[in-house]
Amino acid sequence: MSTSNDDNLSSHSQLSYQVFGELLDSIIVDVASESHRIARLGLDRNLDAAEEELRLSLQARGSAADPSSSSETTSKYVVDIFGQTHPPVANEIFDCMNCGRSIMAGRFAPHLEKCMGKGRKARLKATRSSTAAQNRHSRGSPGSAYSPYPNPNSTNRLSNGSLHVTGDDYSNGTLE
Amino acid sequence: MSSIKSSYSIPTECKHLQNYKLKHGLKGYNLIRDSVKIDSFGKSVIDKSKLQVPRCSFCSGCQGRLFLCLICSSMSCSLSPESNHTLLHSQSFSGHEIYVELEMAELYCMVCSDQVYDPDFDKAVVSKQAVGLGLSRRNEDGELRLSKRKRLNFGLDLELKSIKRFISLRDQYSKSCIPLGLRGLNNLGNTCFMNSVLQALLHAPPLRNYFLSDRHNRAMCRKRSSDRRLCLPCDVDVIFSAVFSGDRTPYSPAQFLYSWWQHSENLANYEQHDAHEFFISMLDRIHETEGKAGHVIRDNGDCPCIIHRAFSGLLRSDVTCTSCGFTSSTYDPCVDISLDLDTSTSGRDPGKLSKLNESIGTSTLVGCLDLFTRPEKLGSCQKLYCENCQEKQDSLKQLSIKKLPVVLCLHIKRFAHSPVKKLSRKIDAHLEFPFSLDMKPYLSSSIVRRRLGNRMFAFQDDDIDINTEFEVFAVVTHSGMLESGHYVTYLRLQNQWFKCDDAWITKVNEEVVRASQCYLVYYVQKVLYHKGSEDVSCQPLSSHADAFVPIAGCC
Repeated sequence: MSTSNDDNLSSHSQLSYQVFGELLDSIIVDVASESHRIARLGLDRNLDAAEEELRLSLQARGSAADPSSSSETTSKYVVDIFGQTHPPVANEIFDCMNCGRSIMAGRFAPHLEKCMGKGRKARLKATRSSTAAQNRHSRGSPGSAYSPYPNPNSTNRLSNGSLHVTGDDYSNGTLE
Repeated sequence: MSSIKSSYSIPTECKHLQNYKLKHGLKGYNLIRDSVKIDSFGKSVIDKSKLQVPRCSFCSGCQGRLFLCLICSSMSCSLSPESNHTLLHSQSFSGHEIYVELEMAELYCMVCSDQVYDPDFDKAVVSKQAVGLGLSRRNEDGELRLSKRKRLNFGLDLELKSIKRFISLRDQYSKSCIPLGLRGLNNLGNTCFMNSVLQALLHAPPLRNYFLSDRHNRAMCRKRSSDRRLCLPCDVDVIFSAVFSGDRTPYSPAQFLYSWWQHSENLANYEQHDAHEFFISMLDRIHETEGKAGHVIRDNGDCPCIIHRAFSGLLRSDVTCTSCGFTSSTYDPCVDISLDLDTSTSGRDPGKLSKLNESIGTSTLVGCLDLFTRPEKLGSCQKLYCENCQEKQDSLKQLSIKKLPVVLCLHIKRFAHSPVKKLSRKIDAHLEFPFSLDMKPYLSSSIVRRRLGNRMFAFQDDDIDINTEFEVFAVVTHSGMLESGHYVTYLRLQNQWFKCDDAWITKVNEEVVRASQCYLVYYVQKVLYHKGSEDVSCQPLSSHADAFVPIAGCC
């Protein structure tokens, strides 16, 4: 390399060093001045409380990692604070307010879904016996108390144009 | 003039500054005012002439920090302690002690060798910057604002009164025991998302007080709605009565589920759902019914229904033109705040840690709130029209909270969507959340003040005596994957934590709660939250339902 190149390089690097230095100083002054103002105006009063919370959180995570203190894991077989135990699937029995049948609590949602004609499975079920249902419907059988489809001829769900009524499932009840 | 309890304290002036002001008054400040320019980040800088680079009058250099003498307007530099021409200037001319540093637009006292502060100076600096922000014209607006504030706080006063009366009743039954209102909720089939939110709402003070005071009377409701439409608030009322009845066997919210499914088409099925979605849906439904029943929604949009009295807050969005500093603000009501996770602090890439979390490598709720209220530079393809400049300009957008709700629900967006892979995944990273949270730094007044460099000035929207301190009372946590998982709620009653996992209620340490994976964190204003020793919600000796005598005159 020729000496002039070296000189150019060194003066380039000097220049860039200088520019970098100025930028760095500028950033430092920026942060220092801001922090000085925040401290003087008392805008950082909450810092201590925040740090304390953070410390407690760290501590908690540390002890939570300790396997002996795990209370997050399966508490389904544990005794609750009232001294009771419960089966994994809730076994309280009550009457469905849509169809009147006795249903077990833990299975109420799936039952209600079919009962009210909501959900994918309910709709698909309807299409299998759609012709039978169609006949029944035209004979004026009692529809379900709640029908999501005001127009029995609507084809907005299924592309093949078949009917979907809730009547079928409703009268048969759920299939468990 | 009303005294304002400021969020900042005015530092005492050094005697040199005092002397300067006695002698020269505000002349110097006013001259500076015209030289204040705003850079693209909204920071104020002193820039006397766009055509000339400012140079030191001693050495003609332009490096280092430059100081402008407030008495003779001469410029001098300060490169190092050895080469400090400003000091030279102050020594050469007696009395020339106060300077303005150009880059930061701050006052500097050469004798004290320190940055000093003066509200009058800040006002001069800010006066140009706050175009469109509306600095305080306190005299005529003061009274108007006060009366508006009285009206907005009306709801809070009512809550305070009712809770005080609750306490006096409760004290009669004070006995150390399991708090009332703790009752398991049976999972009816993938309904843990519903149970978890219900548990949280059952213990939201305004909601609890409202329903337990029989403010939604089922008998009257039945009479009123002649068309027998299903009323979701009635079903909610049933749940409140059941859960606070003293009966400890798990309750099945079946009627509520049935009712809710009849109102919500898309969520009504035997599938897992998002708890936050359910929360919003439930608030909507209750508002619809309560808002109509005899209440008139006032013109200014303040809905008086219990949902809005409890959860409604106001978000402010400021768009600032980076050329001229003109800011336009819009307001949007909200019932909760959804926060993006500060994902850069996952701990795996220490190089990208934000300054809050450097030492620990963890995300914090406060960090998420900072992210939420951070000024965001809108891309050049998103240029917005600036009224002042009369053309489209690059802008900064910043969110802040104009009005805090009584109950603050923070929703942590624990999902990341990858546009490349076209799928969403859940972010399991732990998020630290404080039990006591001060929302003051996120108020519009604080955010705007910070954006203007934390200057001391009376800001139009300074909220006097506003309640910004919150206490957590419920945390809904999620474990598992995006498509399938399990929700559990932790409730804080009498400063003890209880885990509500569907039908199972157990007592847990606060450490377990801190270490859990929070999804919805519910805070309530500290004034409504009662801790520990007051035994406010104890089971009386007779578990008769009359323990909840509706409090007369609870308005």
